[in-house]
Amino acid sequence: MTSPPKQCQFIKQEEVARGNWISLNKIHYSDPTGKERVWEAVYRTTKQSNSADAVVVLPVLRRNLKFDCVILVKQYRPPMKNYTIEFPAGLIDKGETPDKCAVRELKEETGFMGICKHISPITCLDPGVGNTSVSMVTVEIDGDTKENIEHKTNLDDGEFIEVLIVPLNQLLVKLNELSESGLSIDSRVYTYAIAQEQAKHIKPVNPDQEQIEPSISTEYLK
Amino acid sequence: MADCDNQEESGMKHYCGIFGAVAVEPWPTQLDLPHILTLGLLGLQHRGQESAGIITTTGEEGQFKQKKGMGLVEQIFRNEDMIKLNGNMGIAHNRYSTMGGSELLNIQPFVVNTIHGKIAIAHNGEIVNAAELRHQLLKSGVGLSTDSDSELLIQLLTHPPSCGEPDGANWINRIKAMMKVAMLSYSLLIMYKDVVYAVRDPFGNRPLCIGKILPPSSFISVDNCNEKDVDAYVVSSESCSFHAIGAKYYRDILPGEIIEISKKGIKSCGIVSRPNGKLPAFCIFEYVYFARADTVFESQMVYTARQRCGEQLAIEAPVEADIVSTVPESATPSAVEYARKLGLPYTEIFSKNRYIGRTFIQPTTRLRQLGVAKKFGPLTDNFAGKRIVLVDDSIVRGNTMQALIKLLKKYGAKEVHVRVASPPIKYPCYMGINIPTKEELIANRISLQDLPDHLCADSVKYLTIEGLVKAIQEGITTTGQPIGHCTACLSGDYPVKLDW
Repeated sequence: MTSPPKQCQFIKQEEVARGNWISLNKIHYSDPTGKERVWEAVYRTTKQSNSADAVVVLPVLRRNLKFDCVILVKQYRPPMKNYTIEFPAGLIDKGETPDKCAVRELKEETGFMGICKHISPITCLDPGVGNTSVSMVTVEIDGDTKENIEHKTNLDDGEFIEVLIVPLNQLLVKLNELSESGLSIDSRVYTYAIAQEQAKHIKPVNPDQEQIEPSISTEYLK
Repeated sequence: MADCDNQEESGMKHYCGIFGAVAVEPWPTQLDLPHILTLGLLGLQHRGQESAGIITTTGEEGQFKQKKGMGLVEQIFRNEDMIKLNGNMGIAHNRYSTMGGSELLNIQPFVVNTIHGKIAIAHNGEIVNAAELRHQLLKSGVGLSTDSDSELLIQLLTHPPSCGEPDGANWINRIKAMMKVAMLSYSLLIMYKDVVYAVRDPFGNRPLCIGKILPPSSFISVDNCNEKDVDAYVVSSESCSFHAIGAKYYRDILPGEIIEISKKGIKSCGIVSRPNGKLPAFCIFEYVYFARADTVFESQMVYTARQRCGEQLAIEAPVEADIVSTVPESATPSAVEYARKLGLPYTEIFSKNRYIGRTFIQPTTRLRQLGVAKKFGPLTDNFAGKRIVLVDDSIVRGNTMQALIKLLKKYGAKEVHVRVASPPIKYPCYMGINIPTKEELIANRISLQDLPDHLCADSVKYLTIEGLVKAIQEGITTTGQPIGHCTACLSGDYPVKLDW
């Protein structure tokens, strides 16, 4: 019987520098051969245990007779030295649950009032650099209510956010345009757009379709 | 009409419904336009069940996407079509006619190449002077590929206008030139590049109206919505198709009017007037039978107009009886009002089998009568031993009515008095309603005196032409527009001189 392969193991953590919001750390760990190695890591100072640091909202806007749209936000991100296109997001307050946080952040940043439909497990954001974790919360918005037609925001001091409403079936094209124009696209948003595109080409299986075929076959002309 | 779902048997075939939608800017629109067009067609399904077609475009010249097919709207358009037909505007058509057979070639809307690029056209109606126009076109060297009238209109549109086109395509003038040569009858939608032209013939014989797609909240709130809240403009043969898409009826297109619909909104581009100051000739049968009861024409609801016909009928032709009834469903408003006016109870006497649609296999008169029995069952308890007034909106051949009366008598009806909420049809229609030949029309075969015996009824009375016109015109709130209705099939007075 062969022994199981050795796993990497955490050894110890040293804090090198600390700011208001983030700290620089050295992580000592052993690799599968047993050799000790060091990795630099960026940690948030606001980290809570048993909870993701933040939520990322996947907001789907539904309106009568219109295509389903996703709500995106455009804002200046100093680390990127650029404006970015991202999903609305925010840090989870102490004691707050991810769904409540998602609904709150969405309302504050975009003015839309939504209902939480799905919460992801805690997922890592940029694990090569730090341990920031997020929960992806899917929120559905009824765009036909008076409140959501007006969508008044409630931004904090220092927050300057522009809201974009993009139909799901036009998302990839729109993101490519925005990227061309020099904006930085968040990779989660782009991945979501790719998935939408791929889903379009999956032919749905419909066993009922055989029964009511019209007697004359139909044609497509472009 | 006693068998309004079975048009084949009744013989009153009518052409088509047309529907169009143009999304307001910015483009690309977030509206699901193919769905809107499909819903619009569904709302007009009663105007034609044989085939349907949708053409959409993003607005770039020549970029038309089509889907056409035979059968009902629900059978033809699928999810894949909704994706393929995505665009910013489109026109659609429901067809009844059996002329030209079941070829995709004959299903509208049609796409035609012109010197300025492609246009798509959807047409409801029939050109009264078709033979003369066809002759002229063929003489001038134009080849025609179908027998349809719509092709004639298209050929007229592709002729450059006499005033020339120094600034590029001048569709307004081309349309006006066509309208002066072909006066009757059509409701048209013409799609070119990023514009839809909606046209109604100068006599207003076929219906066409405009609606605005508004956000749902504007329907609940009392205050008027802003013009900038309009998501799209829609145009339809009947306003009944607006409800399904959250559109508000805006107004009828006036007789002779050309409306331009674009991403910026609607614009009236003029009215072609009728010769010799003639009155308009809106087909009165739209009110009597063809239109859906919730449609609004000339600012009045069709249902209400039918009620007034029933009331007028009670004034002109009352009778001693126990109950008033009708054959489901189009004559119900007339029957209920007839009953109310005479103080009689309105009772249902037939149970209808909703699953029997149009059948193609009914060759002889005898089998047609049996066909009726399988569609309607007698609610014997409601009428046995009673004197019934049977109200219907019109009688064409009379076979169905005869079969129904025999059925009622067989199951115990003491007396059956037929009251028809319209005058007898005596003359052919050349404006798009295919009435059977003069010989087949019951009003021509059998005199009014002999009619009760022929139908096995105890009495038969029709509404007078004057009574019908009064009932219809009473509800029209005049807005300075002249009012006129075509009663050619009833009176023999045609709006224009005929070809021969």
